[in-house]
Amino acid sequence: MATHVLTVDDATYQEVRDQRLLGFLLFLISDVIVFSSFIYGYIYLRSTVMTWPPPGIEPAALYMAGVNSIVLFGSGATMHYAMEFFKHGDKRKFVGYMIATIFLGLGFLGGQAFEYFNLLHAGTTWPSSIYGASFFTLTGLHGFHVFIGVIFLITVLIQAQRGTYTQQRYFGLTAGALYWHFVDVIWVALFSLLYVWK
Amino acid sequence: MQAAVGTAQVPHGHIHPPPDTFIKKYIFSQDHKVIAVQYFITSGLFFVLAGLLAEMMRAQLATANNTLLSPTTYNEAYSVHGSAMVWLVIIPILTGAFGNLVMPLQIGARDVAFPWLNMFSFWLFPPAGILLFGSFIWGAPEAGWTEYPPISLQQSFGTSMWCMAIFLIGVSSTITGLNFLVTIIKMRAPGMTWTRMPLFVWATAVTAFLSFIATANLSAALLGLLIERTFGVPFYDPSKGGSPVLWQHIFWFYSHPAVYIMILPAFGIVSEVLPTFCRRPIFGYKAIAYSSVAIGLVSFAVWAHHMFTSGLAPWVQLPFMILTMLVGIPTGVKIFSWVATLWGGNIRLTTPIYFVLGFLSTFTFGGITGIMLASVPADVHEHATYFVVAHLHYVLFGGSVFGIFAGLYYWWPKMTGRMLDESLGKLHFWLMFVSFNATFLPMHWIGLEGMPRRVSTYDPQYQDTNLFISISAFVLGASMLVFAYNAIKSTISGREAGQNPWGARTLEWMIPSPPPYYNFEDIPVVLSGPYDYGKPLPYREIKADLDYMPIA
Amino acid sequence: MNTEHEEHKLDAGFWRATIVMGVISALGMWGVVVFPIERFVPEAAGIAVQIDWLFKFMAFFSVPILVYVNGYMLYFTVRYRNRTGQPMDRPGSSVHDHKALEFWWTAVPSALMLVLGILSYVLIPQYYTARAASANSVTVEAIGHQFSWEFRYPGLRDPVPDELHLPINVPVTVDVTSTDVIHSFWVPAFRMKQDMIPGMVVPMTFTPTEVGKYEIVCTEFCGVGHSGMRDRYVYVQTQSDFDAWYAAEKTKQAHKTTEVTAAVLASGDAAAGGQLFEVRCTTCHNAAPFDQRKVGPGLANLFHDPAHPKLLSGKAPTPADVAEILEHGLSGPMGQMPNAQLNGLSAKDIADLVAYLKTLK
Repeated sequence: MATHVLTVDDATYQEVRDQRLLGFLLFLISDVIVFSSFIYGYIYLRSTVMTWPPPGIEPAALYMAGVNSIVLFGSGATMHYAMEFFKHGDKRKFVGYMIATIFLGLGFLGGQAFEYFNLLHAGTTWPSSIYGASFFTLTGLHGFHVFIGVIFLITVLIQAQRGTYTQQRYFGLTAGALYWHFVDVIWVALFSLLYVWK
Repeated sequence: MQAAVGTAQVPHGHIHPPPDTFIKKYIFSQDHKVIAVQYFITSGLFFVLAGLLAEMMRAQLATANNTLLSPTTYNEAYSVHGSAMVWLVIIPILTGAFGNLVMPLQIGARDVAFPWLNMFSFWLFPPAGILLFGSFIWGAPEAGWTEYPPISLQQSFGTSMWCMAIFLIGVSSTITGLNFLVTIIKMRAPGMTWTRMPLFVWATAVTAFLSFIATANLSAALLGLLIERTFGVPFYDPSKGGSPVLWQHIFWFYSHPAVYIMILPAFGIVSEVLPTFCRRPIFGYKAIAYSSVAIGLVSFAVWAHHMFTSGLAPWVQLPFMILTMLVGIPTGVKIFSWVATLWGGNIRLTTPIYFVLGFLSTFTFGGITGIMLASVPADVHEHATYFVVAHLHYVLFGGSVFGIFAGLYYWWPKMTGRMLDESLGKLHFWLMFVSFNATFLPMHWIGLEGMPRRVSTYDPQYQDTNLFISISAFVLGASMLVFAYNAIKSTISGREAGQNPWGARTLEWMIPSPPPYYNFEDIPVVLSGPYDYGKPLPYREIKADLDYMPIA
Repeated sequence: MNTEHEEHKLDAGFWRATIVMGVISALGMWGVVVFPIERFVPEAAGIAVQIDWLFKFMAFFSVPILVYVNGYMLYFTVRYRNRTGQPMDRPGSSVHDHKALEFWWTAVPSALMLVLGILSYVLIPQYYTARAASANSVTVEAIGHQFSWEFRYPGLRDPVPDELHLPINVPVTVDVTSTDVIHSFWVPAFRMKQDMIPGMVVPMTFTPTEVGKYEIVCTEFCGVGHSGMRDRYVYVQTQSDFDAWYAAEKTKQAHKTTEVTAAVLASGDAAAGGQLFEVRCTTCHNAAPFDQRKVGPGLANLFHDPAHPKLLSGKAPTPADVAEILEHGLSGPMGQMPNAQLNGLSAKDIADLVAYLKTLK
């Protein structure tokens, strides 16, 4: 898949890129819909009880999630800059910001793991209640997507180092960035729904 | 121009080298036409298996207190029958088989946008089928294709296999939808504006949109069920704070659009067969095209009409009732337009048009009973009875399956290069049409009288009708043998079809039968819509026999 | 290539066919009107008559649609078929559309649907929201189990299994629920159905109008015994027969003795009750407000909080009522509250628990 892209003419590449971009966007939309189904389930179940979290359930701490959010949104910013630097031909800054993004992403995952540990320790497990069901399923699904995203970005970085992309042809990088921003947008929704909404 | 290796998606002028090994040609093929055949064969196999399950069910129901099947076996049979028919037969045939075979040809493309994904989509299909039918070993699910919790939470491991199977086929369906939508949006031949597209392509476009938007919800619902069954995480179990009605909402939010996935391509097939054999333009092209879009959009807003007895508030029931009634309007528009297409035609009564006429009769009836179910107070009596079983078979068998056979008889020559036997085809039709009505028409009445669905024994007052239904169902099953014989005979010694045996005008009939792997030597340029019989063919760059004199 | 085609008109043959179809439709519509549904399925409640009327309304307008669609389809197919000797490639009519025709065949069905929608909607409150409000109305709780029903009447302590007795011409509200999986409570003769969903109580109101015996059918798959969950009956009786039945039930149930007499109840020890509660009750109940439910509701302020459901007799629970529930158990909306024997509670234990519950605010 990598090598032939360089060998076609510009018009052909543009057509292929447009198709792939549309396809990738449609894929992201279908992924958003999976999340929105679970979010609907959360809102539905939450509306059946008078207090949230249900009695006896220790909720997740806002401050930890806040720190984690800053880490994740920060990685969105570094991803944006990485793209910009790539488009302007600054290889070193591109690589630097990509590595920063990947590390921030891993940091987010580490923060999630820490938060999960605290919750499990406090007795709020996945099957313990509809709180556990909603919280761990939504954040777990999101965390899984972050994990895939990290792999995706590492792959993109490796491809970039191999010279797969040029300054005119870098669809893989575009896709990686789009995926990463999608993961950020989902987090905005989850953060608001799970932590901010009282 | 150096050839771009390995993918046919390189657009327009470029033809890639042909696949060279047996595996690349017939097993892991990225050619949409080969993938279509793979879908036809796999779906055909599951149609036979699911049909046999139905015959087992009807054998049990032939007498009121029969002991041929245990209740458990009967429950497993109807659950796998329904699940297989929906997810392993109707949806894959109409999308994976017909969509793949016809749509790229009709838009003048060399293949779909993502051929590797197309192949991947197909290869998710056999494992899903194995998982579903394999569930019998561990105890197949028993609560129907709908598997409502809490009962589905209590069932054995086979229900988890069901979750995994449907999840897999759902992923396949989503990817195919995405693939087809990008193909139709981006790869139409030059000059083919949306309103010059064949109606089967319109239908496939809307179906693709539904496939990739709706199926994601099913994936979520199934994941939740699987997680709850395996880890005890409470989504649906009320004793742990969950809600059974939540499953119903998410499940039906997918499954209602799913029924339109199962009928829209059949509508598209009807819209292709009629102009060809009436040798005149389809009546109301724009109405038919736009009504498909309307149906697709509204289909997302009617799901709770499956839940009218689930304790929804009346103010919630009202919009679902109104929208369900209104979604019948664009469908009615199509039916009237199709009948109007027959007016003033020069009608050649071939097997495809027989199946279309049968479709018009049975599907209209199914649509009418659908409206009867849309009215909430009437539905209170009709819900979950044999009235619903009758309705669903009138639209899914009388609609989708009749449409599928119309399409199969119509495009068989293009796919294989050979003709099917017309007399056998007509025999198949009459056997199927008569026995279909004999099987399912009486079900309306016993449902209204008081027979519930999903039962293996019933009150003896329904005995005579059920015996009649069971006998008719066996004739219906046998009618398929006529088609099977016809298909084998055609493959071995069928008359050569030539490029355009029906004298049609859409692009697939402008290339040889079967088409070469690259479809078109030169990508055609399209000058107007395809149904204007009496005018010259609206294509340039087509090196084809421009005469469209039919041989049958 | 053949390009000549004759244009066609709506000629005498077309109108003849149209009139013939009209006659057939009229016959069919008349048949719908006169068809005696009640001879095949009894109309044993007021709402059944109304629903049958609605069904006939739909069938009435379906007839011309079916006749004309099938009729024109057959007529055109025969009339315009290619006959031997006629060129196969002569194109047919070139008519693409007809704005007026398309307008009317969209507008008229739409109008019919709207009418149908309104007629349907006004019927819903007749059975779905209107709790029977008249003076002598009856409220009964219908509870589904795998694989039988039971019915709780106001004033009867124990539920009545598998028989629903109702007085004629008295509005009844059936509160429908389940203790395990989803069942459905369907009486075809009343045209009334409501799914029995664990965790929900859904009311359904109707007035039986004919004395008789009417089958109850479970119509939601509920497990291996689903097929057999039928052949139980609603008995619609005259008021005097119903009263007699009710009195007989009461007598039958009253002979169950209770050990938790008023004296025993008065001597309950709240502290001991509190410890018992921790050990025996917290699996299913919280000592917290009503909505803080586990399996069963929170039990704080049980005797005064309006959120706690009234007993079927319409009163808030008293200590004696609670003692009775503890002794005999309760088939509630959320599940089976075990009785004293299952819970291993003595009469003294019950008194202690009641005393403790009184202290919970």
